[in-house]
Amino acid sequence: MRLRKLTLRHFRNVGFAALELKGRQQFLVGANGQGKTNLLEAAGFLTALRSFRAVDNKLLVGHGEHTAAIVCDLEHERQGETKVTIKLRHDGKELWCDNARVTRLADYLGKFPTVVFSSQDLQLVRGSPAGRRRWLDLTLAAMDAGYLRALQTFTRALAERNALLKRGVTGDAQLTAFELTLAPAAAELIRLRMAGLKALGATLKKNYAQLCDDAEPVGLVYDPNFAEASEEVLLARWAAGRARDAQFRTTLVGPHRDDFHFSVRHTAAKDYGSEGQQRSLVLALRLAQAGWFQEKSGIRPVLLADDVLGELDLARRRRFWAAIDPESQVIATGTSLPDAELGTWQVFGVADGDFTENTTTTEANA
Amino acid sequence: MTPAFERLQKHLKQLPGLGYRSSERIALHLLVEKPGQLPALVLALEEAARAVRRCGRCGNLAESEYCAVCADDRRDRSVVCVVEHVPDLVAIERSGAYRGSYHVLHGKLSPIHGVGPDDLNLAALRARIEAGEVAELILALSNDVEGEATCHYLTEHLPAVAAGRSLSVTRIGFGLPSGGGVLYADSVTLKSALEGRRNYQ
Ligand SMILES: [Zn+2]
Repeated sequence: MRLRKLTLRHFRNVGFAALELKGRQQFLVGANGQGKTNLLEAAGFLTALRSFRAVDNKLLVGHGEHTAAIVCDLEHERQGETKVTIKLRHDGKELWCDNARVTRLADYLGKFPTVVFSSQDLQLVRGSPAGRRRWLDLTLAAMDAGYLRALQTFTRALAERNALLKRGVTGDAQLTAFELTLAPAAAELIRLRMAGLKALGATLKKNYAQLCDDAEPVGLVYDPNFAEASEEVLLARWAAGRARDAQFRTTLVGPHRDDFHFSVRHTAAKDYGSEGQQRSLVLALRLAQAGWFQEKSGIRPVLLADDVLGELDLARRRRFWAAIDPESQVIATGTSLPDAELGTWQVFGVADGDFTENTTTTEANA
Repeated sequence: MTPAFERLQKHLKQLPGLGYRSSERIALHLLVEKPGQLPALVLALEEAARAVRRCGRCGNLAESEYCAVCADDRRDRSVVCVVEHVPDLVAIERSGAYRGSYHVLHGKLSPIHGVGPDDLNLAALRARIEAGEVAELILALSNDVEGEATCHYLTEHLPAVAAGRSLSVTRIGFGLPSGGGVLYADSVTLKSALEGRRNYQ
């Protein structure tokens, strides 16, 4: 898939922008806070109608505006020339695909893969479990309607059970009713996360070896809050935990408390990995995500590199560049232009939400 | 705006589906734009308030003790289709595929919205089962988390055997759009859903 034109209106600080994208490499250059990341955020929104920054959609609509719009003109392996229009309002969103309204997220997901490489990605190794769960859910749900359904059912049923606990409802009748709905969804989530992390971990290992010389064994390890993907066992566990759950007024056990960690030489990278190892791990993870999207959808993802090229040392930058699919489109940002050896870029200067194409190429600058 | 106008608008705003703007528009329409139609509307409201009530057996709309379905002797009272709301019943009636009777719960379990078993029309259903009147229950609730949980609740908490008669519980849902209710299914889908109902657990 190639993004050929990106049009934004009232999206964060971008009042209006229409970028015609030519070739497979685009570079957005400008000082921080000018709107480079906002543009990548808009392009990334295409995949699952979610921002890669953990934010409320309300913040995406420009200050004082009613509706934000993202329009993507695409060259698509399966659908040819396609146009996707996303409208965001404070109270919801609207999605159009080639002038037909799409009302079910499940009908849309899995068709337009993008992967964001962000300078914030180290938080996936070092940060809280919530950030990792968010990444995992987005990665798995984007390509699997079954995962999305299980996640939505689980989240809703959990909210209902927690509402019962908050109200201090006594008696088990209603709790049982919602646990019976919760259990199959929870078992499905645990099973799919186990399988997904196993496959992603295997690809991560290969990618890491490409990025690093002394490739020590690395992997992804699932840390389920409750390991048994069995409806009966989950039901028994929730029934047994009701008194404690009532005391804390929330459901203490279940896949909403799952986590995973990165391992290097069979120890946790969070605690024992060097900063260099951690950086390579998150790059390898994003490459694994791109590989997963391509394998599941048959569509080559667009890679969005937010301020990452500048952060890598020369050797890592070369290896990273060699590791990515040479056919995939890369839209990158930075405060200065990348080295000439990373090929020819179409360059846009970014200042205060405005995007201007530089007619001189990077090769001419070099 | 005048004080009486604002009182009316406040009441309209509490109706389902009406926000501030639409309640304002309706109030203006009634009082200022087309005041000639108002007496007929007031009369219709008063008459309906006097005449319309819940059917004493099933909870459907009625103007006497029983609704039109319950009053019809040709309907099979031993088969009871349980629905959330009256419009669901109307949709199934329109499909023409069903000859049994109904029970309207007037809601589904949702602790988030503060709806518990006591808020549903359950006591009357229990009474019908305990009287030995019912052989089969068909649960036609929405295909979402709350609809499903309500099905589980009913299955676990209604008597499985009453007055020497065992109760069979089936659920329709096959073919119904996921996340949607009976109301959104077309007649053909409803007909096949009713015919293809499966035994619950
Ligand atoms: Zn009736």
